[in-house]
Formats: sequence, structure tokens, C-alpha cells
Amino acid sequence: MSTIEQLQSVFRDVFEDDDIAISRTTTARDVAGWDSVMNVTLMISVERAFSLRFKSGNIAGLKNVGELVDLIDRLKASA
Amino acid sequence: MTRAESLLAYVGAHHPMNLRGLEEAREVSPADWDAVAEQFLGWAAGVWGAEGWQERCIPAFVRFSSDVIFAQARYEADGHYENSSFAECNEHVYSQRDVMDDYLWGVFITNFCWSHHMELSLFFRDRFLARLPGAPAIVEIAPGHGGWGVWALSNRPDARLQGFDISPSSIAIASSIAKAAGVADRVTYTERNALDLATMPTASADAVICSFLIEHLEDPGLLVANIANLLKPGARGYLAGAITAAQVDHIYEFKTESELVVLCEQHGLRVVETLSVAPKRTLRKAQYLPRSMGLILEKAGRTT
Repeated sequence: MSTIEQLQSVFRDVFEDDDIAISRTTTARDVAGWDSVMNVTLMISVERAFSLRFKSGNIAGLKNVGELVDLIDRLKASA
Repeated sequence: MTRAESLLAYVGAHHPMNLRGLEEAREVSPADWDAVAEQFLGWAAGVWGAEGWQERCIPAFVRFSSDVIFAQARYEADGHYENSSFAECNEHVYSQRDVMDDYLWGVFITNFCWSHHMELSLFFRDRFLARLPGAPAIVEIAPGHGGWGVWALSNRPDARLQGFDISPSSIAIASSIAKAAGVADRVTYTERNALDLATMPTASADAVICSFLIEHLEDPGLLVANIANLLKPGARGYLAGAITAAQVDHIYEFKTESELVVLCEQHGLRVVETLSVAPKRTLRKAQYLPRSMGLILEKAGRTT
């Protein structure tokens, strides 16, 4: 399963919506309820799903799902 | 477009995740929010220029807000704050000038862009500042960005303020904001550890302000003792602190409002009024409700 496919499963679980479909260009505007608090809930769920740990400074500047995918892949590669 | 409108437009365009929080802050009191935002952002524009304030301040606020929510999530998972000593915070935050500058501008914006801090700001203005005696001599302990004290001077043209902060970054930023606000002639900032009782004035202040320092200390009692020492008999202080609210440099974990109240009472300060506030949205299934509390204190004795 690719990173973005696994990530989609996390999104559906966090936002409790089985119809969410994400792509690299998906942003907070495209997902109902994706605010600053839910973003942290999402990131904590991503950490669990991918067995990695973000630094807080990693996540504030992410502009879209593609940047999150790249960050996950970088952290997995360096683990 | 006003600066307040410009802030909302900028956040909506560049940081949409944070827009709901700003809207909640404005909903506390729209007319007050418009006025306070315009005032604070006007000072930021005075420091960074008519265009530069957005790029400097808003990303700093977004980063700070994200870091705080993230720290709260770690706190929920671990059951304790990330750091427990001044030395750890000094290593990660205080000793790093770039980190500190960004942090301080981020905190400056929270005064009106977090709904619960907007509530506290109004409490500070309406319940504390408005009731101080004429021509008050105010001491601010650890002004940080300086916004609280500068706002006090803006609201009270008859007041003067002395600020003491251990951080050169804080002194620089607070001084720049005071200049931008046009109150520099009524304020002096001194680089000094305000918790060193031996170097601080005694029973000389008509009012003391200390916002969000107490949770950064290993020994909060020392700060309260200092507030009591600074105040004239019968004079009032304003103390704000965080309760089960994590941040990378919060080290003293207050669990309840009464801990703060009792600590003040133990040092001869009567608690006159309090306000405890919390964010409108919290982490899902959170055990802890992060709160900010403002306390208006009065030193025993008669006003001279």
C-alpha cells in the first residue's frame, strides 16, 4: 500500500467520513472540519499509523497532502 | 480594508486551518475585537511596516498555535508536560534568539486571536485596568512581547510602567512595540531577573502585571512573593497563568484554579476576582481542559 493510500485510511478514520478521497493537492479547504485542532489530531494519528514521530515544527508549514506524504516518506527513510 | 480585515483575509488565504479560531475570537465581542486587533496590529505595523507585519507576525502566530496544540496532544498522551526544568526550556527556547523572536510575536497575536485570550484581555482591561487609582505606577514582571503593558498604557494615559525581563529578546521587542504605540516616554524596560527579590523595589507599585510567567517557573511561589513585595499596601496586581495547558516551555503544572488562588493567599494577597477561560475547541476525547486564568489580587493594608 502506498503512503497516500495508507494516509487516506487515516483521514477517513479521523474525520469519520468513509467517502473522503485525498490526492497530493488536497488542502484543508477540501476537507470539512480540517481546522488547526483537527490537524494535530490528524498528525498524532499519522504518527501511530506510520510508527514515526513528528517534531512540532514539522507540521505547521505543510501546505497540502503532497507535502505531508513527502514528510512521512522522508521520516520513514531516515528511521 | 482595516488591518483587522486584512488579518482575516490573509489567514483565510494562507492559513485556512486557523480561520475558525480567529472567527471564534471575534465572536467574543466583535466591536471590541475589531478595535483591539486594529490597535495591536497597528503596533506590529509600526515595527514591521505597513506590508511587513503580515509576513512577520501571522506565520509566527500560526506556528506558535500549532506548537501549543501539539504540546497539548503530547501532554494528553504522556500525562505530564514535556519539560520540567528551566534548563531544558533555556536550551530549547530561551537561549535561541530566532526561536524566541518568533515565539514572542506569535504570543503577541494570541492576545486577541485566541478566543479565550480575547476574553482574558477584556477582563484585564475592564476589571483591572479601569479600576486602578489615578496616575498609577505600574510594574510589569516579565513583559515578554510587552503587549499587556503597552495596552495598559494605551488604556490609561495617566499611567507609567517599569518592566523587568530576563530576556534581551523581550526587552527589544517590548521596546519596539512601546515606541510604535507612542508610549515609549512612559515606560522603561530593564534587563533583570524579576524574581531576584534583593534587586527589586519594595512596596512601590500601585499595580503589578504578570501575564503567563508563573507556569514557566520551577518555583511559582517565588513569583507570588515578589508580586506581594512590589505592591503598596492596598494596591492591586493582575496575574495570569495556565492550567493543564501544555506548551514546550511550561514546566509547572497547575491542575486546578484553586492552586493559584491558594498560592496567592499564602503570600498575603487577597484574590478579588478571577476569570478562568478555555478554548472553544479542544482535542477529541481530551482528558484535560486547557485553561487560562486571570486573577485580580489585592495586597493587605490600606491604600496610601
